[in-house]
Amino acid sequence: MFVIDTHLHTCLSPCAELDMHPSALVEAAIRAGLDAVAVCDHNSAENAGAVARAGRAAGLAVIPGMEITSAEEVHILGLMPDMEAALALQSRIYRALPGRNDERAFGMQVIVNEQAEVLGFNEHLLAGATTLEVDRVVDEIHNADGLAVASHVDREGFGIIGQLGMIPPGLPLDALEISWRTPLSEARERFVPRDEFPLVCSSDAHEPKDVGRGATWAFVEEPTVAELGLAFRGQNGRRILGGGRPMEDLALHILDITQNSIEVGATEIEIELQEDPAADRLVIEIRDNGPGMDRETLSRVTDPFFTTRKTRRVGMGLPLLSEAARAAGGGLEIESAPGLGSRVRAVFRHHHIDRAPVGDIETTLMVLLASRPDLAIRFKHAVGGETFELDSRELRTAGIDPATPDGLAALREIIRRGEAALMRTS
Amino acid sequence: MTVAEAAGKIEGTVVVCAAEAAAREVRGGYASDLLSDVMGNSREGDLWVTLQKHINIVAVAQLNGLAGIVLVNGRRPEPDTAARAEEEHIPIISTELPTFDVVGILHDLGIRGRRLA
Repeated sequence: MFVIDTHLHTCLSPCAELDMHPSALVEAAIRAGLDAVAVCDHNSAENAGAVARAGRAAGLAVIPGMEITSAEEVHILGLMPDMEAALALQSRIYRALPGRNDERAFGMQVIVNEQAEVLGFNEHLLAGATTLEVDRVVDEIHNADGLAVASHVDREGFGIIGQLGMIPPGLPLDALEISWRTPLSEARERFVPRDEFPLVCSSDAHEPKDVGRGATWAFVEEPTVAELGLAFRGQNGRRILGGGRPMEDLALHILDITQNSIEVGATEIEIELQEDPAADRLVIEIRDNGPGMDRETLSRVTDPFFTTRKTRRVGMGLPLLSEAARAAGGGLEIESAPGLGSRVRAVFRHHHIDRAPVGDIETTLMVLLASRPDLAIRFKHAVGGETFELDSRELRTAGIDPATPDGLAALREIIRRGEAALMRTS
Repeated sequence: MTVAEAAGKIEGTVVVCAAEAAAREVRGGYASDLLSDVMGNSREGDLWVTLQKHINIVAVAQLNGLAGIVLVNGRRPEPDTAARAEEEHIPIISTELPTFDVVGILHDLGIRGRRLA
């Protein structure tokens, strides 16, 4: 399982901030808990190598890429298998990219190394459009062995649907990208009602603070373009499990807290999400049979500088869940004792203006059950009087094994139907 | 005709840079939603009619020395677009009218896409 942000800019993009240099980007990605990123500057891959080197030193996988502007001003991401392929694509793109940059109008296009030393300025009009129509752009990416992803399809400007009115039938895109503006569950209904394309969520970050604001959970062996391609096509057991906004969506807070429980050794976990709009309440409760915490640890777990984790994390852990609950007129309670497991309960005012959206429950459950099919995980989502329940042990009894591709597909159907029924009745 | 006067004729409001709009003369017009096309074909002093509202429109207007930008169909500039236009002194008009009617009205008033040599 890998968490990937497939769309970051560097200071090479005229619209990006100068502090978006390779090591700052890598640091921000690691802080956000990402395993991998793709560097996609406008019509150029000239900073991708430096980010890859900075990433290698820090243990972050970096996919080189570019965000190509078609003649119709549609943005298409090309995710490339290696630097050589990225540079081959770049030379094809440069040949079709007229004009010279005007720094005063569009901004600087800074080529840097991993020490943030300025090596020069790119002179191409990277903010401009190529003379290649969108199908040619997709062809060029495929000819260089890359994956073609339509950028931010939920955005009018430069998004394929905004510019062309639709996704042209037969255009062989590998995936569609959703920006952090649109929750994944909503995007699924709007853009791929019949699962026409896999969806990825990414940040399209132009400054360090936005890195990881959108992320995709990929069930792959390693975070490479070859593996992502398999996941997009659903081959060899690889799959895109979901995505969202780790800093915002409550579903991803739930995922994060539950992964905390799993990391400390819990084998039985109960997750409850109770939405009671009439009573203006939303409650998240997560109970586990893990080792529990002593008083001292308990008093420190909501301190943002405290962590028991040895690995990197996505989401913000207890401190930010606590913050999110308080911001929405509620609060966080933790009960735990050594040998007695833990119970985390976060209460929100449902209609509070600052209450974060629930986000995509499908992602949370798919990631949990696919990565740890051996655990006993019980989930209950209640809205008003209606509920959707899922129990990993009952799935097993019913012969559904999330460790297999068929099991995973069946699981997704169950979640999708359950959540959809819940949303309809509420 | 100034940009501000043109705004009045097309049922529009100057939403950014009112002072510049009152002072700046409209010398011609251009209508297109493809930025690369506007970059290549609009001329200094043109009033540009478009539905694009993202920040790059300001860069294009500045690059070609356009008199101002008209956003049609009730569109408003995105916040960063407005901020950048303010900095670059590019007036922006917002009108409820569609492109077809905006261009028709301006054309009737003698504003042309083609200029006589």
